[in-house]
Amino acid sequence: MTALARGLAAPRNRPYLFLAGTVLLLIVLDWNGGRFLTSATAFSVLQTFATLGPAALGLGMTMLVREFDLSIAGVFGLAGCVAVLTGGESAWLGLVLGVMTGAAFGLVQGLIITSLGLPSIAVTLGGLLIAVGMAFVLTESQSLVYGNMDLALALNERIATVFSPRSLIAAAIFVVAAIVVGFTRIGRDMVALGSDRRSAETVGLNVKTILIGTFICSGALAAGSGALLSYSLTSAAPSGLSDVLVPAAAAAILGGVSLSGGTGTPAGIAAGVLTLAVMRAGLNAIGAPPYAHDLAMGAILLAVAVLDAPRLGQSVGRLLNRP
Amino acid sequence: MVAQLLSVSALTKSFGAVQALRGVSLDLGKGEIRAICGENGAGKSTLVKLLMGLYAPDSGTVSIDGAAVRIEGPQHAHRLGLALVAQELSLAPHLSVLDNIWLGSEDVPLFHRRGDLRRRAAEALEKLDAGFDLDEPVSRLKVGQRQLVEIARLLTRDSRILILDEPTATLSDVEIARLFSVLRSLRAEGRSVIYITHRLGEVFEICDSVTVLRNGEHISTNPVSAITRDALIGDMLGRSFAEIYPPKRPAEHEGVLTVDGLHIPGTVERLSFTAPRGKITALAGQIGSGATEVARAIAGLVHDATGTLSLGGRPVPLGSAHASRRAGIMFVSEDRAVDGLFHRNVLENLVASDVGRYTQSGLLSFPRMRAGAEKRAELVGVDKSRLAANAFDLSGGNQQKVLFGRVSGASEPGVLVMNEPTRGVDIGARADIYALMRDFCRQGYALLMTSSDLEEVVGMADIVITLYRGQMIGRYEGAAIDIAAILSDITHPVSPSERAA
Amino acid sequence: MSRQAFALNQLTAVAWLRLLFVAALAAAVALTPGFLSAPSLLTLLTTVSFVGCVAVGMTFITLSGNIMSFSLGATVAACAVTFVTVLNAAGVVAGIVAALAVGGLLSGVQGAIIGGLRANPIIVSIAALALIHGGLNFITGNATVNANPGAGHEILRGKLFGLPVEFLALLILVVVGQVILSRTTFGRHIYFVGSGVRAAEAVGLRVGRVVTGAYVCAGLFSAVAGVLLGLRYNQANMEYGIGYDYDAIAAILVGGTAIQGGHGSAIRTFAGVIFIATIQVLLLLHGFRQEWQYLIAGVIVLLVVMLQTAGRRRV
Repeated sequence: MTALARGLAAPRNRPYLFLAGTVLLLIVLDWNGGRFLTSATAFSVLQTFATLGPAALGLGMTMLVREFDLSIAGVFGLAGCVAVLTGGESAWLGLVLGVMTGAAFGLVQGLIITSLGLPSIAVTLGGLLIAVGMAFVLTESQSLVYGNMDLALALNERIATVFSPRSLIAAAIFVVAAIVVGFTRIGRDMVALGSDRRSAETVGLNVKTILIGTFICSGALAAGSGALLSYSLTSAAPSGLSDVLVPAAAAAILGGVSLSGGTGTPAGIAAGVLTLAVMRAGLNAIGAPPYAHDLAMGAILLAVAVLDAPRLGQSVGRLLNRP
Repeated sequence: MVAQLLSVSALTKSFGAVQALRGVSLDLGKGEIRAICGENGAGKSTLVKLLMGLYAPDSGTVSIDGAAVRIEGPQHAHRLGLALVAQELSLAPHLSVLDNIWLGSEDVPLFHRRGDLRRRAAEALEKLDAGFDLDEPVSRLKVGQRQLVEIARLLTRDSRILILDEPTATLSDVEIARLFSVLRSLRAEGRSVIYITHRLGEVFEICDSVTVLRNGEHISTNPVSAITRDALIGDMLGRSFAEIYPPKRPAEHEGVLTVDGLHIPGTVERLSFTAPRGKITALAGQIGSGATEVARAIAGLVHDATGTLSLGGRPVPLGSAHASRRAGIMFVSEDRAVDGLFHRNVLENLVASDVGRYTQSGLLSFPRMRAGAEKRAELVGVDKSRLAANAFDLSGGNQQKVLFGRVSGASEPGVLVMNEPTRGVDIGARADIYALMRDFCRQGYALLMTSSDLEEVVGMADIVITLYRGQMIGRYEGAAIDIAAILSDITHPVSPSERAA
Repeated sequence: MSRQAFALNQLTAVAWLRLLFVAALAAAVALTPGFLSAPSLLTLLTTVSFVGCVAVGMTFITLSGNIMSFSLGATVAACAVTFVTVLNAAGVVAGIVAALAVGGLLSGVQGAIIGGLRANPIIVSIAALALIHGGLNFITGNATVNANPGAGHEILRGKLFGLPVEFLALLILVVVGQVILSRTTFGRHIYFVGSGVRAAEAVGLRVGRVVTGAYVCAGLFSAVAGVLLGLRYNQANMEYGIGYDYDAIAAILVGGTAIQGGHGSAIRTFAGVIFIATIQVLLLLHGFRQEWQYLIAGVIVLLVVMLQTAGRRRV
């Protein structure tokens, strides 16, 4: 029994515990039942997953290698604007250009970080501001309308009641990522990089390539997600320092990714994203006030930060021993 | 003439103003186990990094099987047949043993969990009789086991030239014996080993020949049968070792640091001893003996240490560096890059432990700080013109002197706890530091040191306490200090009953 | 050329480049019609002051080795709301005191968790952002709190010695911050903790207290920004301060403070704030529209960060 309990509490399994806990909590809060456990809620959850998931995955991968891509928030918005601006004739063209924008940002930032040995937070801060700036300049600070209503409807069309093409695409992306990270040498090398950079260099891993590749992926993922969102909303706006970064980081952290590198899996990140999505959709469904989501997310994150704190044991011990 | 397996000719490498290797040449034949000995800073690790392609030489050539090669990186070195187990392990703690063994190898395909890779890894672990699980994350292994994983990595690479840098530092005797038998069988297969070690006993036990480096230069290469231990030490130090140690004249001072029942879970069990003022007490032991941890615990850096500590009768709480510091216990760490120096200039590093002293009407006074730093610099022999330099730009010896300068500012002599006081310090500076240590003694400090260098322990200590696996084995004072007895205590302790017989 | 000499040359090159930039900037300023005219300059000074206070406050956090905080902007909003609410109830002085207390507390708690438990500063600040934002929403219901006319705060508005009050407040904060950082033992301890937390511990510094103190300073400085906003606009709501955290860390980096901690100063941050703002106003006056603001700021940050490390290897 204790072995089971210990297994459940292992850091690896925490994301799934959080997800299960959140679902249970909402079922309890949904006192009289009927508002939370509906297909509408499930659909809403999966739509949020479609939007937030790839971005959180990209950010999570950069955290896995012990870096941090602050620019995903800007790239997300910029790609949406690019896709809408260029997707007039062909939606595919717009999508491809949007994703390539993100990949380009990742490539350039990755090159700067690896060749100059700069901290990624500083470089991606510059990248974030530049991406947001470009979005403003391209759109002249106005909201853009995308005329292709059919595409928007198609992207959000319900499949099997709860899915949509967007959420299925996101799920597919996670499956691919899980295979790469869990079963290929690339994934193993990424973990090694994040776990101990110096060791990775000593054994001859191609550190620069892996890092640049990770940033390209994070840029492309955020961009793809942003482009598809813009299509499905038929509009793109330069939203400034938008609200993707904080949820993405929260989802990654809930998903078991550590800022010090070496831990985290796509499956865990998926669980983290779902936890946030369930929280948001669930709280909405049961009619909770808007601030409840913020408070809940803040509380969970704080709990994670405290539980993972290296000196927690010491401090608790000291407090207990004080006469 | 048969081409040597590995041949190095006039290899030179500098880092800025520091010349790490000057024109080093040596030859290594097939089926030969060559020891490379030398003090810290002799150039051993630079030579190794050059062989593994982590640096490129400024000049000189490396030849394998008679053909000159330019080694472009670790994976190229692997292809040429070279493999390294470094002192600093290159393992990724979050990955499993299996993944770590195959990390960096070019034989690994994209989908890397192949059956035969697993089998070969298991075989390598088997040879070393390492009992742990291939899927265990390395973070859960102890240091000695991690070293075995690195050695297993070597064995799977089918390398012809294996370089081992201090391989037995963290191994138990049983593990060492197994390692030696593996090395012998590798030798029988015609492979060669470069064995870098401080442990002269091992040089004579397992190696065929020994090369001595000193100050970046090749001093001598001899078959092990043709050289004596004293001659070896002489080659390494360049002078008889007795010369660098100041005469032991323990000063008589009142007061004693008393350690009673010190317990560090998992490391040290109920250790009790005293360290008198005016004398140097040394804790001798290998890695895993708990010596460094005891020192850190006394300095307040081990949070789960229990027991009683008192200085001159007054109790000192454990577990708080601040409390230890306030009680007059100062600490010089074994790893100055991590918990010794700050990434700031020398001046600030010198006054770091009591900046609050140099205030005038509530605010810091730079003239006073500077004067205080200059005084300390002078005391320990650091050039005053270097005060504005980044502390990390100084040589190892000067860095260590800065740390000593930092602890020298106390108003009243207290306790000076030092782990590996001369690690990474070249010969010239070592003598200075030893003189400094005696100075502190004269002023009334109680000195407690730990060192893995037995020559240093014997040369400096007035009292030697030997530790093995967290327990005190013996205590030697003054004339009774005997290097052979100490060595025996810390490697193969004899139980009290056997000793009495 | 030996490696040390090369590094030295690069260092001087960076110093020359900086001088060049500043000279070019000064020339551009002098040559731009309308820049030095009172209205545009005053607008610049006022706008800059709010973020500037937060930037100087965040400098404490960055110097202590904790990179940045995502919650100072929300703290500004909380303090602005507190100020206006208490102002209406109990007057200016009480309002200011209350705002400072809220700012110090919100930030100080984070500092205690980060410094005492060594929790991750980024996660804690993100959590705090969510909690403060949610809490504010709960308390204000997203409504705007208006200052009662005649509550006594009008005297703190307007200009003094020809400079807007907001800018004067920023100047005072820069001086106070600089004095704390460079001339007090506490400030020096912040630098030590930021340049080697384990070494700081080994030396006997109480890392928990130092970090908590740094965060309290950041909170207090952000509270001042909140008070200034409340004074300026006669009202406060939870939308204040959005984006301030990014502007602040951009100014900190441009000013030359290292993001890893241990090197930098309040004055540097102030220079960074002025530098970025000057360039943005210059471009505005030269016909570039508002949209280019972010882009320019991003390019500046990137260039500065890239140039700085040319002279100083990342350790």
